[in-house]
Amino acid sequence: MTSDRTHTPRDCDEFQRQLPELFDSDRDLLAHAHLQTCENCSSLVRDLEYIAAQAKLLLPIHDPSPAVWDNIQNALARQAKDDNKSS
Amino acid sequence: MTKNTLRTAGKAPSPTPAQPLTAEARPVQQQRRRNPPIAGELAAIAQAQQGDGASFEVLYNMHKRRVYSLCLRMLGNVAEAEDLTQEAFLQLHRKIATFRGDSAFSTWLHRMAVNVVLMHLRKKGLPLVSLEETLEPSQEDGPRKDFGARDLTLSGCIDRVTLERAVEELPPGYRMVFVLHDVEGYEHNEIAGMLKCSIGNSKSQLHKARMRLRNLLRQPADGKVQA
Repeated sequence: MTSDRTHTPRDCDEFQRQLPELFDSDRDLLAHAHLQTCENCSSLVRDLEYIAAQAKLLLPIHDPSPAVWDNIQNALARQAKDDNKSS
Repeated sequence: MTKNTLRTAGKAPSPTPAQPLTAEARPVQQQRRRNPPIAGELAAIAQAQQGDGASFEVLYNMHKRRVYSLCLRMLGNVAEAEDLTQEAFLQLHRKIATFRGDSAFSTWLHRMAVNVVLMHLRKKGLPLVSLEETLEPSQEDGPRKDFGARDLTLSGCIDRVTLERAVEELPPGYRMVFVLHDVEGYEHNEIAGMLKCSIGNSKSQLHKARMRLRNLLRQPADGKVQA
């Protein structure tokens, strides 16, 4: 890949305008003609792909406080009491 | 690079926009990738459906982390995330008898939790996706066009904590779509259905979210999001 000036800022604008659709298409993005000559847009695409790939690895790591289960139990107990009263 | 890695592997053909996929209609393989079966879950579900409180607690302990993490990532607020985790499990208790096993239980529960969060945000009157969003890249979120200069790429530089912090810094609308699509694995048509916006709007928001994250992650080491 080269970073010569075979593309113009307008080419980059046009390519980047299409990116939301291109990312969701079946096309191999890095085979796009614009990226054959544009180092800047190639770098952008690599970064965005990398961010999306890393996001998939974000695991659920946060635990709710024990108070959440206590509140659920209390709410269920109240509900059961109300159900008994009404039946 | 090979095929576009932003797409979810093994996608089925997209349905028409007017008929967003339900969790049940998502490809089983995709559901299993995100929601692998948990040992003992089936028995706990069956017993909880019969009203067994201890089994319901088992289900809570199996799924609390994932439901709470989802709420926290979508809301960015611990107190609200705990309230809505509670609400999601109370709703689960009310509806568990209707679970038929057509999809993974965690997929079903997860969708319920997403709906609880979205309903909460609607009640608060927050626009889930701003109406003026278009596919035009905004100046703020556009990349620099520094021709000839090679940018440092992010590849290999992001750890989980740094990315988590950057996601927290996203504006709510961007964060919502990013979490649903890139973290949770929902498709744009599903997100559009949930957020009541167009598929194009969902794609646009996601793109802007990633662009914003890229900018955040490229900040110098003394920047806000860097560990």
